[in-house]
Amino acid sequence: MNHAVNALVILALVVVGYFLPMAFGGGGAVYSAFVLIAIFAVMSYGLDLIVSDLGEVSLGHPVFFAAGAYATGIISVRLGLGPLPTLAASIGVAMLLAGVVGLITLKLREFVFSLVTYAVTVVGLTLAENWSFLGGSDGLTGIPLFQLDLGFAGYKAVTDKDLWPVAYVLLLAVLWLVSAFRRSTLGKAAMTVHLNPRLATMSGIDPQRTRLMVFLVSAPITASAGWLYAYQRAYISADVLSPYFLILMLTAVVIVGRGLLLAPLIGVALILVQEKFLSFGGYVDRIILGTALILTLAFLPGGIAGAFKAGFRYLRGKAASKSDTIEGGATEWR
Amino acid sequence: MNVGQQIINGLVLGHSFALVAIGWTVLLGVARLVNFAHGQMYMLGAFVTWAAIAEFGLPYMLAVPFSMVVGIMVGFLMQQVLLRLTLKQDLVSIMIVTLGFGHVLHGVAALVFGSTGQILDTPFSTKNVYYGDLWFTWQDVAIVMVAVIVFIALKTVLEKSRLGRIARMVAEDPKLALLGGIDVRKVYFGVFAFEGAAVALAGAVIGPRTPILTSMGFDEVIMTFVVVVLGGIGSVWGSYLAGISLGLFTAFFGALVSPAYTTPAAFLVLIAVLVLRPGGLAAKPGGH
Repeated sequence: MNHAVNALVILALVVVGYFLPMAFGGGGAVYSAFVLIAIFAVMSYGLDLIVSDLGEVSLGHPVFFAAGAYATGIISVRLGLGPLPTLAASIGVAMLLAGVVGLITLKLREFVFSLVTYAVTVVGLTLAENWSFLGGSDGLTGIPLFQLDLGFAGYKAVTDKDLWPVAYVLLLAVLWLVSAFRRSTLGKAAMTVHLNPRLATMSGIDPQRTRLMVFLVSAPITASAGWLYAYQRAYISADVLSPYFLILMLTAVVIVGRGLLLAPLIGVALILVQEKFLSFGGYVDRIILGTALILTLAFLPGGIAGAFKAGFRYLRGKAASKSDTIEGGATEWR
Repeated sequence: MNVGQQIINGLVLGHSFALVAIGWTVLLGVARLVNFAHGQMYMLGAFVTWAAIAEFGLPYMLAVPFSMVVGIMVGFLMQQVLLRLTLKQDLVSIMIVTLGFGHVLHGVAALVFGSTGQILDTPFSTKNVYYGDLWFTWQDVAIVMVAVIVFIALKTVLEKSRLGRIARMVAEDPKLALLGGIDVRKVYFGVFAFEGAAVALAGAVIGPRTPILTSMGFDEVIMTFVVVVLGGIGSVWGSYLAGISLGLFTAFFGALVSPAYTTPAAFLVLIAVLVLRPGGLAAKPGGH
């Protein structure tokens, strides 16, 4: 496909995507669901870079999400600043935390890495519940409406319908960032470190520096989701650090298939559609989400997309009996 | 501050930490496996004990083994699902799957037992012992005794028995063990059964110290990480000593600084250990 056609297809998808909530009836609940899907997808993309590209499982990403939400809450409530300063602060705080966590875990691999990042989340939860600066167990209330004032023009979001354009732009920006990352030198270095650390070292790539850099790209993405989430809910408490968000991100990243650009978005959409429109109550939903995560990893390592691919290959193999597919192997963990 | 009282608190806490962590120690030392649902399995152990007493009217001494049997069943179920990943030694996926299990267990427990807190009263937890200005309950004594017995029994089985030799062989080299005619799957199932029983026992014995909630399990898991890492991954004696040290640290930190921040403080200890002796993490397999 040549570039012009490619660009037109993407443009068409972008336009269609924007009007999707309207196509689903355009009610308040529909817009709320779409805004949340966009926010949680952005949150998951941060983790996706670590899981799919770096090949490690960070269980510390709820902390970056919370960092964005809390930075936004504190600055908008106590200093009265608008969305642009709070976004900058969210990104700044997240990068600072990512630097600290990244440096601590620089030499840790696999499960020790995950263990320590999990500990970071639990400690974050304890701090958020007890530290009065963060509102303690009451949380932060009275976060003002999302109101942009650029001098010549302004935008005020009262309902989730008004917030949808903002969420959609954020989602597009993150999608662009993720695909740009994967084409960049850093993205390729991360993939090399993931798939073949020895080759990476021989090619002059510093694995530790690469890990740290990927962390610094990943954390602000998740934090920007926290930023918008604070405005959407108008209230932030320690439950942004609850296991729900961690399980949600992890499931979204693996359920469709790792390393595919749209996979986390589709994953989040599947989960939220179930929770918002086909819910069986909080506890049963929790069991469904956990079970989806278990079944995906235990039985469909390539996610739903991988299962489809395997199915097609099986059918094609049956038709042609001679198989010419030598694929997979190292790509399974992508 | 009453130093003697804090030492008693620290020792009781320490034995609790060690007892909660023992299942993980074996899981990691023998099978090179991890279980992030550990905290929720602890919660389940406490709640099943509570339900056995409050709903079925079982005496405490029968409720404890009942809870352990449920723990074994949960362990079996988990290992059944994890088997493919276990044989591949895909630790990263195992971690996430067990995290998913924890989420499911929490949902199931909240559906079955409700989301309100309960008090797990036992014949020992309501009887106090006063000695001078020191105070503890018979439940505290039971915790220390159970922990010591479990550790001694485990150490003996791992080092002296045929079963222990097989387990250590699988830990050293699963493929070689397979060639040697050992059914590695059975060993993995056994290890998970032990993990389920041990953590349920911990829930049943330690649960009475505090009100129990279906949402608990986080702190227990964090303390387990610290104990396992501090003790040298997979080391039985190491875990015991690490548990006691962490218990004393927690008691004095709580008394001198702030009880709300003991978990972050324990985490700082964990980081310090990781930075100071990263080699401690690569402890030899075998569960010594």
